[in-house]
Amino acid sequence: MRDNASHPNAGSRRDFLRGSGVAAATAVMTQTAQVGMDEASAEALATQQIGVQSGSMQVTLQVNGQAMKTEIEPRCTLLDVLRHRLDVTGPKRVCDRGSCGACTVILDGQAVYSCTTLAISAQGKQIRTLESFDTGPNGVPHAFHKHDGLMCGYCTPGFVTACQALLEKNPNPTLEEVKKGLDGNICRCGTYVGVIQAALDAAKAIKI
Amino acid sequence: MAANSWPETLKVLNKDYPRLDGMAKATGKAKYPSDERPEGTLFGVILYSPHAHARIKTIDTGAAEKMPGVKAVEVIAGPGKLVRFHGDDIAVVAAETEEQARDAVAAIKVDYEILPHAATEAQAMAEGAAKVVPAGNVRKGRAQVDGKPDEGLAKADAVVEAQYAAPVVTHVCLESHGLIARWDDKDHITAWASTQAVTATASELAESNELPISNVTVLTEVMGGGFGSKFGADLWGTTAARLSKKVGGRPVKIFLDRTQEHLAGGNRPSAMAKIKIGATKDGKVTGMIAETFGTGGVARGSGFPLPYVYKFGNFSREHSDVFVNGGNSRAMRAPGHPQGCLIMEAALDDLAAKLGVDPLVVRKVNLGEDFRTPMYLEQIDIGAELIGWSKNFSPRGSEKGILRRGLGVALHQWGGGGAPDKQVSCTISQDGTIELKSATQDIGTGIRTVMAMIAAEVFGLTPLDIKSNIGNSTFPPGQSSGGSTTTPSMSPPCYNACLDARVEFFKKIAPALPGAPKPEDLSLADGKLLIKGEPAMSFKDAARKIGMNPISVVGKFSQGLSSNGVAGVQFADVTVDIETGAVKLNKIVAVQDSGLILDKLTWNSQVYGGVIGGLNYGLFEERVMDPISGRMLNADMELYQLAGASDIPEIVIHAYEPPAQKQRGVIGIGEPPTIGTAAAIGNAVSNAIGVRVPNWPMTPMNILNALAQAGKV
Repeated sequence: MRDNASHPNAGSRRDFLRGSGVAAATAVMTQTAQVGMDEASAEALATQQIGVQSGSMQVTLQVNGQAMKTEIEPRCTLLDVLRHRLDVTGPKRVCDRGSCGACTVILDGQAVYSCTTLAISAQGKQIRTLESFDTGPNGVPHAFHKHDGLMCGYCTPGFVTACQALLEKNPNPTLEEVKKGLDGNICRCGTYVGVIQAALDAAKAIKI
Repeated sequence: MAANSWPETLKVLNKDYPRLDGMAKATGKAKYPSDERPEGTLFGVILYSPHAHARIKTIDTGAAEKMPGVKAVEVIAGPGKLVRFHGDDIAVVAAETEEQARDAVAAIKVDYEILPHAATEAQAMAEGAAKVVPAGNVRKGRAQVDGKPDEGLAKADAVVEAQYAAPVVTHVCLESHGLIARWDDKDHITAWASTQAVTATASELAESNELPISNVTVLTEVMGGGFGSKFGADLWGTTAARLSKKVGGRPVKIFLDRTQEHLAGGNRPSAMAKIKIGATKDGKVTGMIAETFGTGGVARGSGFPLPYVYKFGNFSREHSDVFVNGGNSRAMRAPGHPQGCLIMEAALDDLAAKLGVDPLVVRKVNLGEDFRTPMYLEQIDIGAELIGWSKNFSPRGSEKGILRRGLGVALHQWGGGGAPDKQVSCTISQDGTIELKSATQDIGTGIRTVMAMIAAEVFGLTPLDIKSNIGNSTFPPGQSSGGSTTTPSMSPPCYNACLDARVEFFKKIAPALPGAPKPEDLSLADGKLLIKGEPAMSFKDAARKIGMNPISVVGKFSQGLSSNGVAGVQFADVTVDIETGAVKLNKIVAVQDSGLILDKLTWNSQVYGGVIGGLNYGLFEERVMDPISGRMLNADMELYQLAGASDIPEIVIHAYEPPAQKQRGVIGIGEPPTIGTAAAIGNAVSNAIGVRVPNWPMTPMNILNALAQAGKV
């Protein structure tokens, strides 16, 4: 079984939802509006309790080949530690629950959603963010630049990272495999056409 | 010297050029406002209402204030205040870490008097509905009347009576709304803001803190999407500044979480229409009576254009704003137009189907007298060719079997145009640096690159040689990024600044050149200075001759370089599975004009992006409000669906740019290509399955409901 945080370079919760029809899921939710009520009361309850799981600890994370030491709380996500404590701000926080892919990093060779990965669980592992990727003409970032596979650019780090992870595993992807490999990421500006061209082009360039 | 036309021969402009900040964005090195963490930054977290409608009886922040790391608490909605939607702001905590601020928000004790709510349009319009605002939930606007609608309809050979509706959708900016505010000293603020308007944001921060605007610096080097929802500091930004002051100037960073971004960060209003429309056998509309509604939340603003694109007399139209306990609408990519377009195009298509007339003919005969009409006529033919209309179109109801294919079309229009009061400065330094400055910002549209391309054209250089500095409110006045006005506003002053700077440059260096040529003997091309057409030295060497003082000029707007008013036609080709209601997009065609295209690469991206935005509106997006709790059920990015890579069909874009278009000058492109897509998809689906699907988006539920209603399943 996959853990929650792994990027769906191979199959995803999102695929499942799309396949099964979110409209149906939403319709069910609307009918059983109790869900909303439950959430409301849970939230109200939360405001009455001061159940705080805090307390700090030292961790050392291997980020882009560098040992980085910082103080965190056990509940901190890898994404928040990278961004808020280590100033490694390439990965972005967008949905914050593993559905949009903007926070994608490569953890021991595997693309993961860093927003749903606890920082403590990343200790002792190699964390790679896009800041460490090849910036030359054969690298993935250059392909995105050349094909304008970005507009506002906020989803771009996630797409670039997912693309890098995909090509490391499958250096010769078909168009369908590229689409599948990037299906764990969402772009709002609508740059998919450039993104897909970039991924196919990067696959070619990397082989040179 | 202000120019009134672009050069006849373009070396840099009207070509493909990758954006200047592309590598920075693609390597993660670009610093977005939400990436910044100036020294001493505190994190602000917002407490927002879990209820759709409530009065705050008491609020106790005592426990929160004593919690670890908490530096300040600011109450926005105190005792006696109303919260009027799920997501309405109540208080903000600033703490050393975000985790600590969240804990403190959870520790704020609020006693609510929960009030009855009306969270959906149906609830708000029902008899005895809870009042969202004291004056009542339905606010009728003034009716538009032209001619005699009843008489017009009486002349029709066919009349369609129908209802159409599209839901509220949210902007889903990937970088949420927010900023970091820091008091630099007792009368200066610096803010790193995710905004479409550095100037308006500075002005809001200045006003709310009683500072002169020149004492506020708003920085937006890059930003992660706005789509019309980020035109100011917002309550969150002004609160961050207030909190920063409270804590002695330490920076306070407030960015909304994803849930609140959906709830409070803005949305496109819903649109509903009850329409009666008639036409004669040839497809010409004789009259229309339309009653329309929409909700913009606890505010007005749900209006949309109708009739849309087409010109006919004898119509009446009455629009009502419906108030609901939901987040307020904000401008969203082509405000009002996607709604007006899908309603108008659905009604025309239903008329065409009833009359048995080709939908393209019905479009053509109703265009009327307008400067866009010849453009539309050509664009329809180009698009029809690209989608294979004559080969692939069959009238509604002719498809049989489970998988049914259909084609649809939609026309749209937009204004755009340039504001005449914007400025760009151009500075040439001794080391050959050319720097442009203006207080505009790049929201992903590529204005930074376009400005550099203009300078490169004038100075015979490449865009990489130009420093294009924007995203700073202290620079010369620049345009807010909205309404497709940025490029048409900024290009003319940019071009004029460069032309004037070049004149100054020639004047200054001429005496120092061999043979003391006249300034008018000089020209620039391919990185070189030419004397009487002969290459003399590199641009860099020539620049050394200007001496210690740089050349700096400010360019202003001039007529003739930009224009407004675009057309555009889109086609969709779909296959619908009538057993599951699933839609497969086979192809989308977008034929789009926008005057002279400056950067063809980023222009293409805008058009693809617009189409994909429209595809989302057509197939996936919907804010789902729960009538019982009054809460938004899908304030996330799973159940609030957006297209992923596998959802993107073949998209063919055609830049409609004959010489007459180029002569119009620059027109913006952000809004137009997103307008018609959802309408064309809706028409294609209805064409495929043989019945109108009256409710957008074209989800399995809406499609199966339409088939069931028509007794087809």
